[in-house]
Amino acid sequence: MGSLFRSETMCLAQLFLQSGTAYECLSALGEKGLVQFRDLNQNVSSFQRKFVGEVKRCEELERILAYLVQEINRADIPLPEGETSPPAPPLKQVLEMQEQLQKLEVELREVTKNKEKLRKNLLELIEYTHMLRVTKTFVKRNVEFEPTYEEFPPLENDSLLDYSCMQRLGAKLGFVSGLINQGKVEAFEKMLWRVCKGYTIVTYAELDEPLEDPETGEVIKWYVFLISFWGEQIGHKVKKICDCYHCHVYPYPNTAEERKEIQEGLNTRIQDLYTVLHKTEDYLRQVLCKAAESVYSHVIQVKKMKAIYHMLNMCSFDVTNKCLIAEVWCPEADLHDLRRALEDGSRESGATIPSFMNTIPTKETPPTLIRTNKFTEGFQNIVDAYGVGSYREVNPALFTIITFPFLFAVMFGDFGHGFVMFLFALLLVLNENHPRLKQSQEIMRMFFNGRYILLLMGLFSVYTGLIYNDCFSKSVNLFGSGWNVSAMYSSSHAPAERRRMVLWNDSVVRRSRVLQLDPSVPGVFQGPYPLGIDPIWNLATNRLTFLNSFKMKMSVILGIIHMTFGVILGIFNHLHFRKKFNIYLVSVPELLFMLCIFGYLIFMIVYKWLVYSAETSRVAPSILIEFINMFLFPASETNGLYAGQEHVQRLLLAVTALSVPVLFLGKPLFLLWLHNGRSCFGVSRSGYTLIRKDSEEEVSLLGSQDIEEGNNQMEDGCREMTCEEFNFGEILMTQVIHSIEYCLGCISNTASYLRLWALSLAHAQLSDVLWTMLVRVGLRVDTTYGVLLLLPVIALFAVLTIFILLIMEGLSAFLHAIRLHWVEFQNKFYVGAGTKFVPFSFRLLSSKFSDDVA
Amino acid sequence: MLEGAEFYFNVDHGYLEGLVRGCKASLLTQQDYINLVQCETLEDVKIHLQTTDYGNFLANETNPLTVSKIDTEMRKKLCREFEYFRNHSLEPLSTFFTYMTCSYMIDNVILLMNAALQKKSVKEILVKCHPLGRFTEMEAVNIAETPSDLFNAVLVETPLAPFFQDCMSENTLDELNIELLRNKLYKSYLEAFYKFCKNHGDVTAEIMCPILEFEADRRAFIITLNSFGTELSKDDRETLYPTCGKLYPEGLRLLAQAEDFDQMRRVAEHYGVYKPLFEAVGDGSGGKTLEDVFYEHEVQMNVLAFNRQFHYGVFYAYTKLKEQEMRNIVWIAECISQRHRTKINSYIPIL
Repeated sequence: MGSLFRSETMCLAQLFLQSGTAYECLSALGEKGLVQFRDLNQNVSSFQRKFVGEVKRCEELERILAYLVQEINRADIPLPEGETSPPAPPLKQVLEMQEQLQKLEVELREVTKNKEKLRKNLLELIEYTHMLRVTKTFVKRNVEFEPTYEEFPPLENDSLLDYSCMQRLGAKLGFVSGLINQGKVEAFEKMLWRVCKGYTIVTYAELDEPLEDPETGEVIKWYVFLISFWGEQIGHKVKKICDCYHCHVYPYPNTAEERKEIQEGLNTRIQDLYTVLHKTEDYLRQVLCKAAESVYSHVIQVKKMKAIYHMLNMCSFDVTNKCLIAEVWCPEADLHDLRRALEDGSRESGATIPSFMNTIPTKETPPTLIRTNKFTEGFQNIVDAYGVGSYREVNPALFTIITFPFLFAVMFGDFGHGFVMFLFALLLVLNENHPRLKQSQEIMRMFFNGRYILLLMGLFSVYTGLIYNDCFSKSVNLFGSGWNVSAMYSSSHAPAERRRMVLWNDSVVRRSRVLQLDPSVPGVFQGPYPLGIDPIWNLATNRLTFLNSFKMKMSVILGIIHMTFGVILGIFNHLHFRKKFNIYLVSVPELLFMLCIFGYLIFMIVYKWLVYSAETSRVAPSILIEFINMFLFPASETNGLYAGQEHVQRLLLAVTALSVPVLFLGKPLFLLWLHNGRSCFGVSRSGYTLIRKDSEEEVSLLGSQDIEEGNNQMEDGCREMTCEEFNFGEILMTQVIHSIEYCLGCISNTASYLRLWALSLAHAQLSDVLWTMLVRVGLRVDTTYGVLLLLPVIALFAVLTIFILLIMEGLSAFLHAIRLHWVEFQNKFYVGAGTKFVPFSFRLLSSKFSDDVA
Repeated sequence: MLEGAEFYFNVDHGYLEGLVRGCKASLLTQQDYINLVQCETLEDVKIHLQTTDYGNFLANETNPLTVSKIDTEMRKKLCREFEYFRNHSLEPLSTFFTYMTCSYMIDNVILLMNAALQKKSVKEILVKCHPLGRFTEMEAVNIAETPSDLFNAVLVETPLAPFFQDCMSENTLDELNIELLRNKLYKSYLEAFYKFCKNHGDVTAEIMCPILEFEADRRAFIITLNSFGTELSKDDRETLYPTCGKLYPEGLRLLAQAEDFDQMRRVAEHYGVYKPLFEAVGDGSGGKTLEDVFYEHEVQMNVLAFNRQFHYGVFYAYTKLKEQEMRNIVWIAECISQRHRTKINSYIPIL
């Protein structure tokens, strides 16, 4: 409990690391995660720091490892993830590791390059065979006109000329054939047409099986095309266009024999390539398998190494350049461990002079460390989301553990819903070691991280559900109702009694739509229900009126208790920070202000509950009117709650009124008085100046002493002395603003707690609506069809219950509970201006591959 | 278009605008530049850029690092962002994006044509092309021999087609003609873009029109400056000026008559916007060049574009600012790699 109530005490320590052992020491520290390093080279840009070279080397290693992981993943070889994380590699091994990795990379790159080349070659050959196969059909179509031109009927007279002419033309008839990406066919054809003005014949056919693109490795659909054209000029253009559209152009065989020859040649080559490719792939796989064994530990090691060098970059060198000086924040409780870690590190590296540390006093505010476990973590996160607590401040998370689920449950009060939520959370908690849950994403992760919050929320909702007597909007009659209906009938009473009371008889029961139970009739009300609301209210038409009154009063009472508790926690803060005057001048007036108005309201509520019974309920005064009259002093006297009420109220009001000026002016004036050397106000000026001089001298003396000490300890002097300047105006303004906020806040915050009532009302009404609209309809249908209907109805009911009532309403209640804590509760005492303690720990490094493959 | 873009703008473009504003926040700051300038080697530059929004974009580069590698990677990054914007955009923002890419496309076409003239291989030049202006038909540019050829065969289906109306001629493509073609294309492109923004109205017009006006006038000045001492006639020169700027029509007529830098300066002095710019130009040794001054002014306009909301100008401004940032980094990296530190500080700071 102690550690959760306040953050731990921290101290600033200086580590003197011998330059030879610094690496090992930091490695030992990183494993333990004890300390947070301070950056001593803030004004040195990142590339001018000491260990930039080493960091660069780590990055180079990371690059190689990323490449390895990528290749291994591509080859579908499982990457074993080690259970334990290996320690950072000793410096001697780093070089070895680097060499080994570089060699591996070179080898791998070469093999993959070869493989890619072979693959590309193979793909091209396959494409070529496909092309040949498809274009054969084109030619068959062309055959019809081909002979006509080749065996052009020679005219008798100038056959020679004609023949040579044909020869020339025949020589220029060219073919270009190849494959083109499916998407580009249309544009390609259009461009061909435009450029060659129609002097080409394009035939193309879709390839029935998709092939891999040798360049990108994508599997896409291809078209085989054959362009026949006349003339060299056009030929050039066609080739250029083919280039432009990234067609794969292959030589086109002119004769059938040539085609056959090529095809046979291709087939044998493809066979050869297949075998070679297989061998290469096998080899590659072997290499990768071997690499996969050690890659995990290498990744972790390099990460650790890089982290160490980053931390070393934050240290400064001492004058002799022999040792590094690091400044760290360390929890006082861990100082012993820190010393041991340093010793371990020094011993490991076999240094003659051990590294050592000493603590130095500082005036800077240390970071906040609150140790949490898996149970308290979620609640601490709720608080931290508002603001990390200032150093050594009271930590509201401790109380949030109970108050948060409780306030949630007040809004979410339903036995059934709460139980479902509890079961869900219990499932998460029981399976919390399941790896799937730990690596879950986004929303599921959110639920998983808040599993203990959910568990408590569910549990408390069960409790408040029992109090409200709501289970899926229906009341449960566990102990038997305290109301007896039969007692209302006139026959059950003696005739003498009958006259005094309004009783039922047969005609009344038959004629009236609503009947009223009168608790003052003896026997009708047999005492309160043992736990929560009497189930009979579930049948009553004035149920809402009754519940509203109850819930409204309850939320005001809870709210005021919650806020008062906040103010009291403020007192603990003032005590701890040795500002006792704050208690008398701030906390006590605040408490008086709150209690005299709203505490009295609670008193009236409870008093009315206790004093007035069913018989006297008609004369009971309205609390609202009484409360308003407390401020307005009306002329006409009402009959109050108790005798002497007026005097008590006046007294309370006077106390309230008096506490306001104290709240506004007390602290600033007190501080002014302190600052002026505790002299009284209005004393002669000379005395005041004299004392002031004295105190100034004192201050300067103290200051120089401090500075000297600082010089002795170390020279870099980056620790600045912040001497707080006294500014009366500023303090006054802050206090006035704070007071106004508090006084107005008391009213508005109290009203704000009414959301407890509003949300629980909304929840109850919504579940009621769901019941009446769905299940009631299903139950009304007569038995034969009802069974068929009930099944879908209940399914729908379950789905809507989960999504609307559990998730949606749950989120809204969660949100409001958070708000009540952040705003209404925490602004009474919590500053939340601290910084979180982030230790240098290897555990914070992610130990997954997914991050470094990105 | 209806008035009051704020009513419906976010429905279609709110997400992208938010995104681009986030991207703008990741531009390098003054402090980053100060640190970059202190770098000793390109490795240092890489390390420093890692701490900025560029992240480890150079992580997969094998050693040794060169300026061109940095440049390509930065371009790729910009291109990725731009493609993302473009793929998620709706009309008319997507048309706006198309207009934005057109200028890069023009540059690429001209680059390829020049290369074809010098008989360089297409592959080699493709690497140099700006990735934002890439399109499939681009590689076929070298088929064409005349501008009309180029239009009919290659560019008729690209967004560049409408800009070709004024430059259809049967001239063969020599170096001068290609340059003329570029300027004519730019002229019609700027005018079309200007018209598009003007017609769109709203804040977009209010932001984009001044930027495009400035762009047009800058081209007019640069064309004038470059044409001194060439065989380009004054009438020809006038036909190249984009007519959507502030200089139109009087200033352009005067510019067409200008014969040296001083005369040009005199023309600029009639305009309140350009007068201070020309005054800032140092003469001869030291001082800024006209180009730098123009760049600075452009940066300023682009930064100011972010002060208004509900308009497309932010996308244009962001791309231009990013380009300027890339030029700065390349400049600094170039100075570092060539050990030419005296000029390293003459990058153009982005405010």
